[in-house]
Order: sequence, then structure tokens, then C-alpha cells
Amino acid sequence: MPTQIFVSLPVRNLQDSTRFYESLGYRKNSQFSDDTVSSFDISETVHLMLATHDKFRELTPKQIGDPSKVCHSLLSLSCESREEVDSIVSKAIAAGGSEAHDPEDHGFMYQYGFYDLDGHGWGVFWFASPAES
Amino acid sequence: MPAQIFVNLPIRDLKVSMDFYESLGYRHNPQFTDETAACIVISETIHVMLLTHDKFKGFTPKAIADATKVTEVLLCLSCDNREEVNTMVAKALAAGGSKSQDPIDYGFMYLHSFQDPDGHMWEVFCMNQQDQSDVNSRNS
Repeated sequence: MPTQIFVSLPVRNLQDSTRFYESLGYRKNSQFSDDTVSSFDISETVHLMLATHDKFRELTPKQIGDPSKVCHSLLSLSCESREEVDSIVSKAIAAGGSEAHDPEDHGFMYQYGFYDLDGHGWGVFWFASPAES
Repeated sequence: MPAQIFVNLPIRDLKVSMDFYESLGYRHNPQFTDETAACIVISETIHVMLLTHDKFKGFTPKAIADATKVTEVLLCLSCDNREEVNTMVAKALAAGGSKSQDPIDYGFMYLHSFQDPDGHMWEVFCMNQQDQSDVNSRNS
């Protein structure tokens, strides 16, 4: 079976954050969600887990960083087209997120980014296939 | 093409971190690797970008979190069986990583974890073989 990755992010308000990611077009997986965690299938191998801070504290003894002030990692997702990249960022901003940076068009690659409601940073990019480049 | 994820992690020493992740069995993609960044290929759809702090600062105006003290994300990878889970953690500890939590056997799932040289936390898990077979049967 292909390797799966589960990315867990702490969120201050699970309902608000769940609605935010649903606004981007991702569907909540009810089987792995409850009142402390919302699970989203980004793709067949990439999954997002939003966890309340109380739940997140069960998973790590370390202090939960404040993503509005410090950056621990950046998550980037590929898209099928420039239009899809722009669409996701537009949806994120409309749903209460914010633009992370101006879009960057390198020709063979187009990238944009947003911050979610907690300040977690996401890059979204399109990369030309060898046939397209 | 299936969605790909690139997890970008700030690291203090690129060579130390590259050696660490390669000790786990992952190769780096030289096309996206230079003296400031290394692309570690976990799978066709999952990549980890190890970025020097100077490089990482180019992507965010925020301070870089000290991963040994704070956590903002937990990364969890699936394995095919318990042996693979334990082997991954053993390799990590032998390669300069550190212990995270004790392994947990939930019955339907077995979970273990480690920290990389910068304190980034990784969990590795496998489903109970019978539960995985049941899932595979339902999905086929």
C-alpha cells in the first residue's frame, strides 16, 4: 500500500477550522473525526487532522507553538493548474484566512500561499509536467 | 496526477539532516537539492524539504520555532507492519534522532515515534493486519 501521511495541526476552534477547510473543497472524513479531531482526505495518500489544543497536548509533551508568531514548518500542496492554485487561495481568504505572499510565476512553476485561521501556512503550487515545460 | 505534499522543515545542519533521513532509507532528489535545501523523497506523493534556516527565512516573515521546545505540527507516516515501524524508530535513534514517546498498541493500530536532529516529531504507525485486510476487502 502506498505510504500515507497524516499531518496534524492544532487549532483553537475546531468547528471554525473544520468549516474553513471544507470551504477549500476538502471533505471531512467522519470515520476518523469526533469532537476533538476533524480528519480530511486531501488525497488518497495525504490526510489532514485538525486537533483541538487539548487533544494535541495528548500527542506531544512540548508547548504548542503560536503559528501567528513562529513558524515550525510550511506545508505545500500541488495543484493541477494555475487556476486551481488561485481558486484555493481565493477560497481561503473568503473563508477567513489570509494571503501569505503575492503569487509567484516562475514559468515552469506557479506558487501562491495562504494562512489558515490559526496562522498555519500553506503553499499551493502548480508545476509544469515535462511535456508542458 | 495525484496531489503531492511537500513538508518544508527548517534544519540547523543540512548535511546532518540529510544523513539522518537517508539513514531511514529515503533517498534525496538531486534535482531539488543544493547547499541550502534537500528534497527527501518519502514516496511518489510525499516529499520532505529540509531547508537551512537562512533559506527557510526567505519563505516566512515569522521567527523560526525551536522544534525542541514547541510543536506546531505532527507528521505521521504509515508502515506496512509492526516490524517496519520498529525498524524505522531504531534507525532514527541510531542515526542521531531522539526518543519521542513510548510505542502504543491500540489493538487496531500500533504507533511509535521519534524526533529528528532538530526536534521535528515523526510518528510511524501500522494498522493491525486483520483490520487492514478488512479495509482492503471493503475497498476492493
